[in-house]
Amino acid sequence: MDEGFEIEAQALAQILDELDYFQILKVSQNASPDEIKAAYYRESRAYHPDRFFQLPDCELKTTVGRIYKRINEASLCLRDGARRLKYLTDVSGPDRARRLRFVEASEQELKKDKEQEIGTTPQGRKFFMAGMQDLAALRFAAAERNFKMAITYEPANPNYKAKRDEAAKLVKSDFVVR
Amino acid sequence: MADSEIAIGIDLGTSYSCVSILEKGKPTVIPNEWGERTHASVVSFLDDGTVLVGNSAKRNIITNADNTVYSAKRLIGRFYFSDEVKKAQAVMPYKIVEGENNSVRIQIRENIYSLPEISALVLKEMKSIVENYLGHEVKKAVVTVPAYFNDNQRQATKDAGRIAGLDVMRILNEPTAAALAYGFGKDIAQRIAVYDLGGGTFDVSVLEIGKDVFEVLSTAGDTYLGGDDFDDRIMTWLAEDFLKKNGIDLRLNKYCLQMLKEASERAKIDVGRDSVARISVEGICQDPAGKVMDLTATLTEVEFNRMVMDLVQRTFKVCDEALQGARMTANELDAVILVGGPTRLPIVRTSVKHYFGRDVMAGIDPDEVVAAGASIQATSLLDSKGEHYLLDVTPLTLRVGTVGGYTDKVIDKNTPIPIERSKSYTTNRDGQERVKIKVYQGESNKAAECELLGEFEFSGFRIAYRGEVRIEVTFEIDTNGIVNVTAADVETGQKTSCTIRLSSGLTDDMIKAAQEKNASTQLARGEAA
Repeated sequence: MDEGFEIEAQALAQILDELDYFQILKVSQNASPDEIKAAYYRESRAYHPDRFFQLPDCELKTTVGRIYKRINEASLCLRDGARRLKYLTDVSGPDRARRLRFVEASEQELKKDKEQEIGTTPQGRKFFMAGMQDLAALRFAAAERNFKMAITYEPANPNYKAKRDEAAKLVKSDFVVR
Repeated sequence: MADSEIAIGIDLGTSYSCVSILEKGKPTVIPNEWGERTHASVVSFLDDGTVLVGNSAKRNIITNADNTVYSAKRLIGRFYFSDEVKKAQAVMPYKIVEGENNSVRIQIRENIYSLPEISALVLKEMKSIVENYLGHEVKKAVVTVPAYFNDNQRQATKDAGRIAGLDVMRILNEPTAAALAYGFGKDIAQRIAVYDLGGGTFDVSVLEIGKDVFEVLSTAGDTYLGGDDFDDRIMTWLAEDFLKKNGIDLRLNKYCLQMLKEASERAKIDVGRDSVARISVEGICQDPAGKVMDLTATLTEVEFNRMVMDLVQRTFKVCDEALQGARMTANELDAVILVGGPTRLPIVRTSVKHYFGRDVMAGIDPDEVVAAGASIQATSLLDSKGEHYLLDVTPLTLRVGTVGGYTDKVIDKNTPIPIERSKSYTTNRDGQERVKIKVYQGESNKAAECELLGEFEFSGFRIAYRGEVRIEVTFEIDTNGIVNVTAADVETGQKTSCTIRLSSGLTDDMIKAAQEKNASTQLARGEAA
């Protein structure tokens, strides 16, 4: 194995966790599907573990293995239209550093999101649901009271706070039903 | 050095096995001393302590039924409680018993063998065929498995290789091997489907072949469907007919059953070649009065096709799945390759032609192409020149058990391998010392409908209040399609110490003992069939 490659691989491995999938496949964010495929084949040619099969177990072999797994991960995400779109939004946002590795929301996580919305404590949920009903029936003051009660059970629930603020605003706005 | 650096390719089949090496850049199937190019995957334990493997051993299924093991591949890597094992116990003349951790064992006289030990004897025969041919020892090999094999089955096959004294460089998927043999040295750019109907399993893979790249786009399969099922249909037909005429059910006696099975397999081959099969088994049983009875019947192609049509149709459901996985339609393919003995049957060929809307690729030997591909890959791993690249996928979704008997996806099927994915877990009790994770493979979110790979237990992380310790568990699928699980404490980065694997697999000590047993076993030489 030539020395240049080894240096390059080690350098790449160093910054692997800071790169997004486009950077790993060395393509631009608006690359066409064909360009992404070609890039995947090109990187496979360079880093496929079979090329290093006969090396004794060593740092380079481990490094190459790590890089290649990430190349596969990148290809899996970017060669799927829907995943690529979501990923692009993820890494273009403020949360980029935490979103570099694409994770599909699992069935459990979706359930958790839902729980976050309506609450995790029985009392919190009860007041929150009552508040939502008040809101729908345009009883804004009652809604605000119920949301405040819900917050006493789950002080950290952002959704409760948002709803309380919304209700408070409506109370003040002299909202008139037509 | 150069001479001993030869790596062999072994197609370890349910019914037949085949071995190949690369000679002067061309894959060459190595015949045994009688010129036989494929060898029955049958292991017969003889009275003198030697073991007979191959086509000669096949005759012993009837004459030495208790001590002759066949179709071991149907049982390898399975749990004792699985349906396949129950089914096998009903029909196999050899004794299938339960080992530790729900594993399956075979009892021959007073000896107990694991399934990898049985397969290792087939591998030993394959190895010795090449050694006879070359005149020196070979150590390295690529062994193929059905693409749809799960982790337990792959692991067990790898163990079989180790027991046979082979350095198994790669567990390669059979359809991928076939595609490699097809595209090797051709410089083509095509999208192909490999339709692989073997003795006991069915696989279909969709691949894209480029100049030096073989990329598997999707794979699907059924590990409970193969040529054996075609034989079963003929068997049922023969047995029902015999029962109606003579009032004797041949299936109740394991000896008669074997004769029936053998006759059915021959009838299948005959009807495929000659459009009609004349079945005649002399002295298949005795009637209650002690009169020896013969079985005679004539099987026409029309009749046979009617019997097996639903089996053939079942393969196309799997093909639908594979095409869907590759996001392709049948008419986007450039070629269809047939692999496996049963694909010689006209009913299979015409149905495949009809389904894909194109002629199947001619000039490919369905019995030898997998071994040929395995030898190409074996040599390529040996010299590491990297003239071509195999980009393969995992056939099954990897899952972890969650509460209430459900599972959560970790790695999707058809994900390119090698790959890894991490998941974090926290402790849910104060002072918790261990975290247990159950790992499954399958397409259902219910644990009971998936295959359990093992239970992993991690310890050696910090002891703290509940929820304070976060453990990152990394699931890796390597180039063999084998799953590895490791865990680390997120905060300290400390790798947790012991990883206990609870499955029906063999421990290192068991493998070592089996290796010695295998090495000291003498292979009997039979005679030309």
